[in-house]
Amino acid sequence: MTSAREIAARHLPDPDWPVAREFWEGCRVGELRLPRCRACGRFVWYPAAACPGCGGGDHAWTRVSGRGRLFTWVRVHRAFLPGYEGRVPFVTALVELDDDPRVRLATFLADVPAGGLRIGMPVAVAFEPVNDRITLPIFRCV
Amino acid sequence: MDLSRRIAIVGIGETRYERRADRPLMTLLLDASRAALADAGLAARDVDGIIAPGTTYQELHEIARELGVRQQFFTASGYSGGAAVASAPLLAALAIEAGLARTVLCCRGLAWGSERHGNVGQLHAEMPMKATFEIPFGWYPQAVYFAGMARRHMELYGTTEAQLGTIAVAFRRHAALSDNALLRDRPLTLEQYLAEPYLAEPFRVSDCCLVNDGAGAFVMTARERARDLRQPPVVVLGVGAGVSEDGEYASLRPDYLATAAVHSAPQAFAMAGLAPADVDFVTLYDNFTSMVIQQLEDMGFCRRGEGGPFVEGGRIALGGALPVNPSGGQLAQAFMLSMNNVCESVRQLRRAAGPRQIPDAEVGLVAGYSGSEHATLLLGRDR
Repeated sequence: MTSAREIAARHLPDPDWPVAREFWEGCRVGELRLPRCRACGRFVWYPAAACPGCGGGDHAWTRVSGRGRLFTWVRVHRAFLPGYEGRVPFVTALVELDDDPRVRLATFLADVPAGGLRIGMPVAVAFEPVNDRITLPIFRCV
Repeated sequence: MDLSRRIAIVGIGETRYERRADRPLMTLLLDASRAALADAGLAARDVDGIIAPGTTYQELHEIARELGVRQQFFTASGYSGGAAVASAPLLAALAIEAGLARTVLCCRGLAWGSERHGNVGQLHAEMPMKATFEIPFGWYPQAVYFAGMARRHMELYGTTEAQLGTIAVAFRRHAALSDNALLRDRPLTLEQYLAEPYLAEPFRVSDCCLVNDGAGAFVMTARERARDLRQPPVVVLGVGAGVSEDGEYASLRPDYLATAAVHSAPQAFAMAGLAPADVDFVTLYDNFTSMVIQQLEDMGFCRRGEGGPFVEGGRIALGGALPVNPSGGQLAQAFMLSMNNVCESVRQLRRAAGPRQIPDAEVGLVAGYSGSEHATLLLGRDR
C-alpha cells in the first residue's frame, strides 16, 4: 500500500479555506470533527449554510468517533492526476460513519485484508500527517 | 397545460464524429444546425427559437448571426449536460404552446477531444468541496465516481463484470452498423473485454465513454405544422426532468444508486400516458456501462438490482426485446451528451435507420443525464 502521504502530495487541500479550516485543524490534532446543527443535531455534510434536516444555520464542529463501515470502494489502476504515476494501484473508498450513517467520507483505505473487501466491513480512522498544516484522515480495515 | 403530443421533431443534423476535428466547435455547431434545418426543409428565417445548451451568451448570438436568423427569437436555458438535450423539447413545447415561438432549433456540440487533452475531470476538480474532501483522497474523476456505484451494485445485487461487458459488446456491434461511429471498425468480444486491464475497478477502457469532437442539432415545431413538412413527424409524447438531492456530490446521495431518472421517467410516462412496456427501444446516457443498468432500473424497465440479468441474453442488442443505443451510444458512437441518441431515435422512428432499423418501432425513449439531473424524452410516430 502506497502511503496516503505520497499519493496526495500534489493534490492537497487548502487548509485556510474558511469552510473547512476546522476540519483540518481537527485532523492535525488527531480528531475527526464535522459540523453539526445546534438546533436538530444532524450532521451537515458536506458543510453547507443550511442544515439538511431542519434548515438551521447554526452549526458547531463536533468530534466524532471515527468508526464506520465500508460503503463502497474503487481500486484505481490509472493515474488520473499528474503525480499519481508510479503510485497506482491504490484503494479509494466511501465510508459511512457509525455516528450517523448518512455521513459518508471519501478516504484512502489501508490494511486491506488478504481475503478482499466487502461492503459493511468495519473501518476506523487513522491520521497520516502530510506536512505541518495538513493531516489526512484515512481509514483502516479493523 | 397538456404538453403531450403537441410538438414534433421535424429535422435532425449531425457532423462527422471525430477524435479531433480540424475545425472549431462553432463551425461544428453551425454545420449540424444547417443540416437539421435542411433535413426539415426549413430555412433560418423560419427559426424563432434557439436552445443551445453549453454555449455562452456570445456563442448563442454568433450561432444566430451566422445561420442568418435576423428576426426576433426566443431562447431559454435550463438543465445541463445530457439532461439539457433530452429536456429541450420540454422548453420548446412550453414556448410553442405559449405562443412565444413556432420553430425551435436545439443544437449541442462538444470539442473535448481537442480541448481537454485527456483531462475530462477538470470541471469536477474546480468544485471546492471536491477539491477539499474528495480529490486529496483519490476520489476522482468520473470513472472513479461511477466505478464506486458499480461496485456497490455488484456487492448488493451480484451484478457481474461480464454483465457490464455484455453492454459494451452490444453497443460495439451496433456501432459497426453505423456509418458515423468512432468505434465502427473496432469489434469487441466479451473475451477481449475481460482481458482488458482495469482503469478503475470494475471499469476497463471499454466501460468508459468516448472523448471526441462533434455536434448535432434538431428542429421542433407544432405537430399540426409538422405534418406539412418534408419528413415524417416524430412526436414528443412526453418529457420529464428531475434533480437529485445533494447536487453534484454523488458520494453523499441518500439513495446512492439512484439517478434523477427516478423523477424524470415517471413524469415523462405520465405525460405520455404510457408505461415502460410500451417502449420499443431506448437510447440511454451511457457515460459508463453500469449507468445503462442503473437507468433501466430507475426508469422501471426492471426492478432495482435486476439490471444485470436484464441486459443478458441479447435483450438489449438489436434483434432483442428492448434494443438499447442502436447507433452505438456514447460508448461506441460518440460522446455527444445524448444529442446522438436524439438523432438516432428520430431516425429509428422515421424507419430510416438502414441496417440498424428496429422493425415496427413506434415508441422510443431518450435519456439525458448530468450528475444531479436527468431528463426522459418519449418520442413516437405520428398517428
